Amino acid sequence: MARKVIDEPSEDVVANAKRDRDSKRGPFARMALFIRQVFGELKKVVTPTRKELFSYTGVVLVFVVIMMALVSGLDWVFALVVAYVFGTPQ
Amino acid sequence: MFSAIARIFRTPDLRRKIGFTLGIVALFRLGSFIPAPFVDFGNVQACLAANQGTSGLYELVNLFSGGALLQLSVFALGIMPYITASIIVQLLRVVIPHFETLYKEGQSGQAKLTQYTRYLTIALGVLQSTTLITVARSGALFGTSASPECTQLITNDAWYAIMLMVITMTAGTGLIMWMGELITERGIGNGMSLLIFTSIAARFPGSLGSILQAKGFNVFALVLAVSLLVVLAVVFVEQSQRRVPVQYAKRMVGRRTYGGNNTYIPIKVNMAGVVPVIFASSLLYLPALIAQFNQPAAGETAQPWVLWITNYLTKGDHPLYMLLYFLLIVGFTYFYVAITFNPEEVADNMKKYGGFIPGIRAGRPTAEYLDFVLTRITLPGAFYLGAIALLPLIAFSAFGADQNFPFGGASVLIIVGVGLETVKQIDSQLQQRHYEGLLR
Repeated sequence: MARKVIDEPSEDVVANAKRDRDSKRGPFARMALFIRQVFGELKKVVTPTRKELFSYTGVVLVFVVIMMALVSGLDWVFALVVAYVFGTPQ
Repeated sequence: MFSAIARIFRTPDLRRKIGFTLGIVALFRLGSFIPAPFVDFGNVQACLAANQGTSGLYELVNLFSGGALLQLSVFALGIMPYITASIIVQLLRVVIPHFETLYKEGQSGQAKLTQYTRYLTIALGVLQSTTLITVARSGALFGTSASPECTQLITNDAWYAIMLMVITMTAGTGLIMWMGELITERGIGNGMSLLIFTSIAARFPGSLGSILQAKGFNVFALVLAVSLLVVLAVVFVEQSQRRVPVQYAKRMVGRRTYGGNNTYIPIKVNMAGVVPVIFASSLLYLPALIAQFNQPAAGETAQPWVLWITNYLTKGDHPLYMLLYFLLIVGFTYFYVAITFNPEEVADNMKKYGGFIPGIRAGRPTAEYLDFVLTRITLPGAFYLGAIALLPLIAFSAFGADQNFPFGGASVLIIVGVGLETVKQIDSQLQQRHYEGLLR
């Protein structure tokens, strides 16, 4: 986990980025700069805590399993009904 | 958590909403089973049983319609035309200035945009049902190497029969659209996404079962474990956000103070959701469709470009296809984020309500700063979308698994995204009445 950086927005961020970009000549140097900035922003991303992560995952899984069970049950019944109505009598 | 579930059912309002939603879902599933007129039910079933898992061309579309497509049922097209239409209308805002003005007009303008979306849905429904029926009539629905029953899917070839089928399927699309809107309005969650969730969930037990049958218990357990990890990863990324701090100026109106609080603009790492994946896959599916229509008659050799497409662009296990897919997703992610989150608009709104990012002047510098953050934070988001979407393709070529590998690609993003959204909505409804929600 990346160390958290305290977020202090300022207009310098954009101005510096522009100046840095102009100072780099080659396209690869610019790409490297962009990627460095990407990582800089990524460090400021707030990620869910372990507890939140597990509780959300658990709840989503329970929801999916309930819906899956329900839909499969419905499908089973409907398939029988439709086969009875439209199927050819053997 | 189980006490929370019990509490859901003890809240009358919530109970009614959930019941309504489930009722609509049940109707939606029922419609996916009723065959359209002039469809030979027996032959379709025989064909489905013979061609399990190898539906060829329509793989993804069939997944999104919950298997209804290959059944040629009344709801064969599923919710996809509506989703495609709404994405297209959103994208058209960039192209047609009239749409942009409507969007900015507020309530009435957006009602008009919704109306356009509905018309477009019906148009797409006509188009797709015609294509589907043409393919079914030519006998290529289950691939070219199908058994004789598969070429006899339709009992009547007369023009009125075809017409009636097109009308039925288009009407089905319209009905699904209405059901989706009803869920959004009177049920719980977003109707459109819940219905596509239902379609995907309907396919899960089947694909899991076929993995268990074909590969044995060990592989099955491995698949489940990997799926769990993938779901965990998706939840992690979906919940990660870059918070740009915002302060609101304190205002005194009469004797009351307004504002003066600190909030933040949440910029999610994955702002675009599933849309880029859906778009990239439907775009990549076009060449396969064109090649399908240019299949040579028996005995003739195919044209070189048709061969090239069938070799490189129809099967997901070719590296060229994967690369193209990945690049398209990254491109569409940037495109879609640019459309849905307009930094200048956000900066304007903030200025209007007296908000500002500390350290940055309101107006253009704010917009520039937001744009800076957004372009940087979207890159990992785009890579993440591409990686998740490629997962089933890689699994397919590495382990020889089913291409409908359940926990991968667009489906896992939809499943987790819709699951989170719906659960959060239930939770907030629950918190209005009880102090504790579902998510504690």
